[in-house]
Amino acid sequence: MTRAPSATHRAPVTDLGAYVRAAAAAGELVVQPRMGMARPEVMAAGVAAVAGLAERTVATITLDSYTRVGNHAAATAAVRANQPLNGFPIVSHGPRIAAEVAARAGEVPVQVRHGSADPMAIFRTMTAAGLGASEGGPVSYCLPYGRTPLAESIAAWRDSVRLLAEESRTNGVRAHLETFGGCMLGQLCPPSLLIAISALEALFFAQHGIGSVSLSYAQQTHHEQDAEALTALRILADELLPKEVDRHLVLYTYMGVFPRTVPGARLLLSRSAELAVRGGAERLIVKTEQEAHRIPTVEENLIALRGAAAQARRTRAELATEAARAARSERRGLRAVRPDAEEVLMEARALVTAVLSLSDNVGTALQRAFHRGVLDVPYCLHPDNRGATRGVITSDGRLRWAEVGAMPISSSNRTVPLTSARLAAMLRHVADDHDFDAQEAAASSEPAAETASETVVPLVRPAQQPAAEQRPLRIAVIGMGPRGLSVLERLVARAAEQPPRQPVAVHVIDPHDAGAGRIWRQDQSPHFLMNTAAKEVTMFSGDGDGGPARPGAGPSLAEWWAQTEPETADPEGFAPRVVYGRYLSFVFERIMMSLPAGLTVHRVRGQVLTADRLADPAEGVYRLRMSRGDVMNFDRLVLATGHPTNDLDCEQRNRAAFAAAHPPLQYIVGDSANDMPLSHIPAGAAVGVVGMGLTFYDLLAELTLGRGGKFVPSDDGLRYVASGKEPRILPASRGGIPLLTRGANQKGPLFRYSARLFTPARMAAVRERGPVDFHAQVLPWLMAEVNLVLLETRIKVAVNAAEAQAFVTRAVGELGCAELPELARLSELAARYCVDTTLITDLNRLARPFSGMRFGSPEEFRKTLAEWLRADLAEARLGNAEGPLKAAFDVLRDVRQTIRSVVDFGGLCPESHRRFLAEFNPVAALVSTGPPPLRSEQFLALVNAGILDPVGPQARFRTDEEHGCFTICSPQVESSRTRLDVLVDARIPSTDLRVGQDPLLRGLLADGVIRTFVNTWSDHAFNTGGLASTDAPFHPIRADDRIERTMHVIGIPSEHTRWFTQVGSGRPGPWGSFTRDADAIAGALLGTGSAAPAAGDPVSAGNAR
Amino acid sequence: MSQSSTPQLLRPAQQETTGTGRRVLLTTGSSDAHTWNLVHLQLFLEEHGHSVLNLGPCVPEKLLVDTAQLTRPDLVVFSSVNGHGHLDGLRAAEAMRAEAATRDIPMVIGGLLGISPEGAEERTADLLAAGFDEVHADGTGPAALLGKLATLDTSCPARVAA
Repeated sequence: MTRAPSATHRAPVTDLGAYVRAAAAAGELVVQPRMGMARPEVMAAGVAAVAGLAERTVATITLDSYTRVGNHAAATAAVRANQPLNGFPIVSHGPRIAAEVAARAGEVPVQVRHGSADPMAIFRTMTAAGLGASEGGPVSYCLPYGRTPLAESIAAWRDSVRLLAEESRTNGVRAHLETFGGCMLGQLCPPSLLIAISALEALFFAQHGIGSVSLSYAQQTHHEQDAEALTALRILADELLPKEVDRHLVLYTYMGVFPRTVPGARLLLSRSAELAVRGGAERLIVKTEQEAHRIPTVEENLIALRGAAAQARRTRAELATEAARAARSERRGLRAVRPDAEEVLMEARALVTAVLSLSDNVGTALQRAFHRGVLDVPYCLHPDNRGATRGVITSDGRLRWAEVGAMPISSSNRTVPLTSARLAAMLRHVADDHDFDAQEAAASSEPAAETASETVVPLVRPAQQPAAEQRPLRIAVIGMGPRGLSVLERLVARAAEQPPRQPVAVHVIDPHDAGAGRIWRQDQSPHFLMNTAAKEVTMFSGDGDGGPARPGAGPSLAEWWAQTEPETADPEGFAPRVVYGRYLSFVFERIMMSLPAGLTVHRVRGQVLTADRLADPAEGVYRLRMSRGDVMNFDRLVLATGHPTNDLDCEQRNRAAFAAAHPPLQYIVGDSANDMPLSHIPAGAAVGVVGMGLTFYDLLAELTLGRGGKFVPSDDGLRYVASGKEPRILPASRGGIPLLTRGANQKGPLFRYSARLFTPARMAAVRERGPVDFHAQVLPWLMAEVNLVLLETRIKVAVNAAEAQAFVTRAVGELGCAELPELARLSELAARYCVDTTLITDLNRLARPFSGMRFGSPEEFRKTLAEWLRADLAEARLGNAEGPLKAAFDVLRDVRQTIRSVVDFGGLCPESHRRFLAEFNPVAALVSTGPPPLRSEQFLALVNAGILDPVGPQARFRTDEEHGCFTICSPQVESSRTRLDVLVDARIPSTDLRVGQDPLLRGLLADGVIRTFVNTWSDHAFNTGGLASTDAPFHPIRADDRIERTMHVIGIPSEHTRWFTQVGSGRPGPWGSFTRDADAIAGALLGTGSAAPAAGDPVSAGNAR
Repeated sequence: MSQSSTPQLLRPAQQETTGTGRRVLLTTGSSDAHTWNLVHLQLFLEEHGHSVLNLGPCVPEKLLVDTAQLTRPDLVVFSSVNGHGHLDGLRAAEAMRAEAATRDIPMVIGGLLGISPEGAEERTADLLAAGFDEVHADGTGPAALLGKLATLDTSCPARVAA
């Protein structure tokens, strides 16, 4: 059957590369099936049907698996015996029949798809039939699909590719080859390796004479990551391939385990078409709705092709709209968000560079690369593949490296033991997600469909029941971290108490696990601790009552922890963040199990990209576009997007550019330690750290405990036993000190402090009089309260509680009626008890204990700092009730709500507001948000071990061009200048919508639906960057000053409009503002809360301008 | 024999088994290129205390028989999902049953054995006749193997020979 080629069997051939190029120029996606039947007449009918579609198609002849492995005898026998085969046995049928089948495509190109590690016989038959387009590759058709040694496959492919190129040239045809390297086992191979192999195979084809190639990429688990991968593949191809080689990108609809339901499969298919358009692929190879169950029929393939083409056209139209929106944003000075292909591109480039350095011949280089493990395909059983790598799906749905083996890239993900159950779950992830999403979408659109059918047949509509009442109120809670969860908890609790008047459908949207969100997600270091005691943390709006945990009644974190993890729990202490993440997921699951009639909750894993106002109110108010590719309509939105990721500022950009230009120098910037690639930091490297707040403590723990070090008890606290893998850490803060240690907790979870001088009533009166000057009118009372507690505690400890009470009564009586409190009088009153009467008069002095001091050497500074911290620790050990200093500082935490009542919603005049944020805010954080004593003990142990090397006050980071590194030095410490290998920015970004990267908030800001809070008084204005909103129930204020009553905002996006929103938990006992805020929004959404803000709310609506 | 060695990541942690652990030879059809089923089954069986030699994709009958002769497994598990499992499986069973040394090694088969649901009963009958001890229909979970492994005779000479 493979006799000498004969020119008489040729089919007319359309150049595949040119055909795709023409379609792309016309703005159309080329769609193509996988299709192969054993019998020529059936195959021919399939080819003709595909070619006959109105869409731009490429016809496919897929070969059977006997032909694929070169067992042509078995294929021929099966054909003769009329046994079924899973494809077209082209070699058995021979070139004449192949040409006849292909001729049925007419002007449409035909591609032969096979999967063979040695395609010589196939290519011979093809070229004899006049066909020139096929696919595969020496790696991608060897490693995953058989046991042919890689060297043999590379040699066979080299010869076969040359034959295809030459024979096609003789036929007057330009051969086209598509790489299959973008698939590699279909799932769990992270994108960087896929595009690296795809690009290398294309280069291999070009090296052996192919003038037209396509580079494949198979859809994976995450829409945006896939779009980034396609962008990166295009860049990589342009970098590698000779200019004259024609090229395009081809996307494969998901190649792994396919959704089992028809709607799920359809959803996945339409998302792949959307991805092709958004990622810039010119051709798409589809799958069908029946993929999970059987080999599809021709008709089923045609349906898939038509569906994909239609979706591609819709997406292209949407892109045009988005481009218009982006242009509008640019005019307003906002940058459009583009897919950031940097990460995947850098990894892929590192792989390709390493491979090509092994030989000028791509084939040889590939063989050596696999032998050395420079390329290593996860889960691939082929003997020539090392099998030391692992890809995993992380909690945000992205596909990432858990193990990189010997590949020249790094992994920052922690490895969870791989079990068969986890592997099965990962393999089913995409299928399950799509089956689920499709079912959810169907459930929430059902009433709308009824409405539509009623419109068509108006006679059946009951006159007294308007269609609008049929539809549930659709609420989107955007962001499902603790704040989103708090709103959901109150919504469900309220609906359980009083059935909603109208059915309610809540969609909770987050790319990470619902409940935990990004900050509390579970794939983070077990060494990261919370800084609120477990006993003071709850997500239930009522204490447990013996019944099942449910909205309104459930255990605190400490209770839950002690019960579920009795061996490891430390309910008296501070829980690891992963533990809180698990608790939050538990709370979410309990809520889902307690839904009352009339309220449904749907979880959506993804990010909201845009919110567009709907023109027809019958459809809803907003149309949200999700990162996974679909759209949904809603009536109400709750913005609970949490910690922002901001554009780098000028200094950060310069540092990043400097590091990029001077490898191996590293600059790491990110808001939480968990999102930083800390595993990239080599042992022994000098690591400068900007900021010594909570993120600093996290990275300190990860770089020491996380690398195998241990703290053991010693005579004076702790001693650190190094693992040898630690870097040297040189942190710096303005004052040169870390956060003050939190006092050991001596207050019960139900304790509530009741202020005596800094009372809510007094502050309400201050606010009443008009714009407030914080430092002149508020701070004196706050300091009076702080010092009252300081002296009261000293007296209580030195004398007794009764005398302390007597002192307080006298002090409050004397100071309380003055216009401003006289602090000196407190000292005088305390003097009679023979206690230390020194007062805390200057908070700034606390933050800068070394102000004006000079140190002769770094050693001298370290000693002074250690003494200072030991003294602070001693105070902390006295406790937050018995220790005078820590009890006094605890006031700052205890009266936060009273401070908020003066500051929030434009209470301060602009100048004072600016000063409040710049001066008071950092000092308040320094003294009242610090770490538990254990962390400060560890700090000292690490200083003693020589691993931690605080640089000194007012430290400055500079770049050193000569040595290509960063440097750090403190002007107050002699010889403190040190060269750094790594610089980490450990400051938590502050809310500023103008530089935030959240695409939804950017879009809303550009559209004027939200605006920043500009504190304005007479001719002074201060743009805080926070989201402007009303008081409860927290509606955003639009650019035109109208109140956006269909939206609510809670938590961190509204920082600066409000103060200290970075609170991630409620507290057992009476509600604090965390729970009250959530409840106000829940009440407003259900229409059962207090009325929407009326005239009584001019503070925000009027003044906040 | 480099062809049959398994890669590092999935190489069984220990060849020796303890207590009720059995030695399983995991294989697929000579035309079947799928491997996820094999990776998953290997992990599953190892989690249940069995030791697995995984032959990987596209296993020729000769490689299966040679390896079985060499390693004398307690059970051969044949997993196939490409739709040719009934054809490949028949040949594998015939080859195993043709050799005296491998004739008595128990064999089970499962997966997507045909390209359509029609004829499933006939396929099962053919496979049982060819020498498989059990034929598991598509959709059967891996736990079905545990029952078979538990009933294997511990005094089987194959274990001593290993």
